[in-house]
Amino acid sequence: MADDKDVLRDVWFGRIPACFTLSPEETTEREAEPYYLLLPRVSYLTLVTDKVKKHFLRVMKAEDVEEMWLEYEGTPLKWHYPIGVLFDLHASNTALPWNVTVHFKNFPEDDLLHCASNSVIEAHFMSCIKEADALKHKGQVINDMQKKDHKQLWMGLQNDKFDQFWAMNRKLMEYPTEEGGFRYIPFRIYQTMSDRPFIQKLFRPVSPEGHTLTLGDLLKELFPAAICAEGGWHQR
Amino acid sequence: MHLGIFKITYNRTATHFMDDCFVNLGEEMAGERNPASCYLDERTFQLCCQLFLQHSETIQDGWSWEQIKGTDEGFMKKTVLMPVKPSVLHKQHEYSIQDENMVTDDIQANVEDETAGVQAVCEIHAVLRYEYHVLYSCSYQIPVLYFRASTLDGRPLSLEEVWSNVHPNYRQRLQQGPWDTLTQQEHPLLGQPFFMLHPCRTEEFMKPALDLAQAENKRMNYIVTWLSVVGPVLRLDVPLSYSTEVSAPD
Repeated sequence: MADDKDVLRDVWFGRIPACFTLSPEETTEREAEPYYLLLPRVSYLTLVTDKVKKHFLRVMKAEDVEEMWLEYEGTPLKWHYPIGVLFDLHASNTALPWNVTVHFKNFPEDDLLHCASNSVIEAHFMSCIKEADALKHKGQVINDMQKKDHKQLWMGLQNDKFDQFWAMNRKLMEYPTEEGGFRYIPFRIYQTMSDRPFIQKLFRPVSPEGHTLTLGDLLKELFPAAICAEGGWHQR
Repeated sequence: MHLGIFKITYNRTATHFMDDCFVNLGEEMAGERNPASCYLDERTFQLCCQLFLQHSETIQDGWSWEQIKGTDEGFMKKTVLMPVKPSVLHKQHEYSIQDENMVTDDIQANVEDETAGVQAVCEIHAVLRYEYHVLYSCSYQIPVLYFRASTLDGRPLSLEEVWSNVHPNYRQRLQQGPWDTLTQQEHPLLGQPFFMLHPCRTEEFMKPALDLAQAENKRMNYIVTWLSVVGPVLRLDVPLSYSTEVSAPD
């Protein structure tokens, strides 16, 4: 997979056009214009919406401003999910641009994690990378990398630098050829119809008989409801 | 030597173990005299929890099992009312536009308060509600401790306030690594914001206990040992009777 650079580039450079509108519940000194932005699918909302914040702060008084949070059709958007996942989960069937509502008050404490600074995003991102490597390589690759390598991985994401990112991520995507694959596949199946945010289980990429397994095999075993009887696909 | 290190670091006697639920040594170790694995599979996790819960029932310690509907997964939970010094609650979650160093400054202030030895003569305590969840992580193959805290009128505590309530002995250690710490996380089964104690150091403190148990040919309840170590960091008390009593399922 790490050999197919075109696919990697297409995934990395995927964008979602979004339109940010201030919630009518917010108190403003003058009318707020909507703000348009192309969002990177692989990044996180709080990492790429500084411009959105600055745009709306211009029409607001400081005392009316608390931590910014985003919402789509009444659902608070979890900044700690990649943007592409959020869009696919909530809005993939609707017309573009993605209409997101901006709030500065009444932070939904029961739904959203706080995000006081970029270091919170970095810690979350690195924690996900580490967990994925625990599944792929028992954590050996990530633990053998130096602190500056971890930093490069994060900076690559933060600054949208494909080559910088993949110079490091390449190591995390390798496996010994005799193994036939990673120890376990790091995956999460996100769903909206349940309290449980996602399904995550141990899954080996090679069957006990030595056959390479596919995504279809994974779904059949762990989420059969996603595949209907005739062999087609359910929506979400 | 292992026993010595374990005692000094964690201030607990390491010699009492629950004599019923044994630690799974992992398939690669069958028949060999290897160091015991620090990891446990999900089935063993559940068995250890069931035995733990039986004893909790006996001493009315308040733990219960939550099963996820339609699955074979679940977790242990317990709610505690905890009196704390009012100063813990002065750290409101203040969001400001230039906010990078706020957390560190507040922690410093609290450490100084505690060590200055200044005490009010008559302190009225605030009461907090702490809810602890013990979950299984299949990625790391170990248990993980999640919790959430709120005031009695339902206001959730901020990360800063939760930090203030971490036992002073543990604060410095928790500040050391970026991953070995306390962070807000989404509860993987309930989808709501909780706090989590990062599991990265689990191997470090479980290994000596597991090696010792194996050397003495004793069987140990992983959950009892593990929770006895991590619980106190978050003011969760695990009575010593867990380590000494046998809850025999007969």
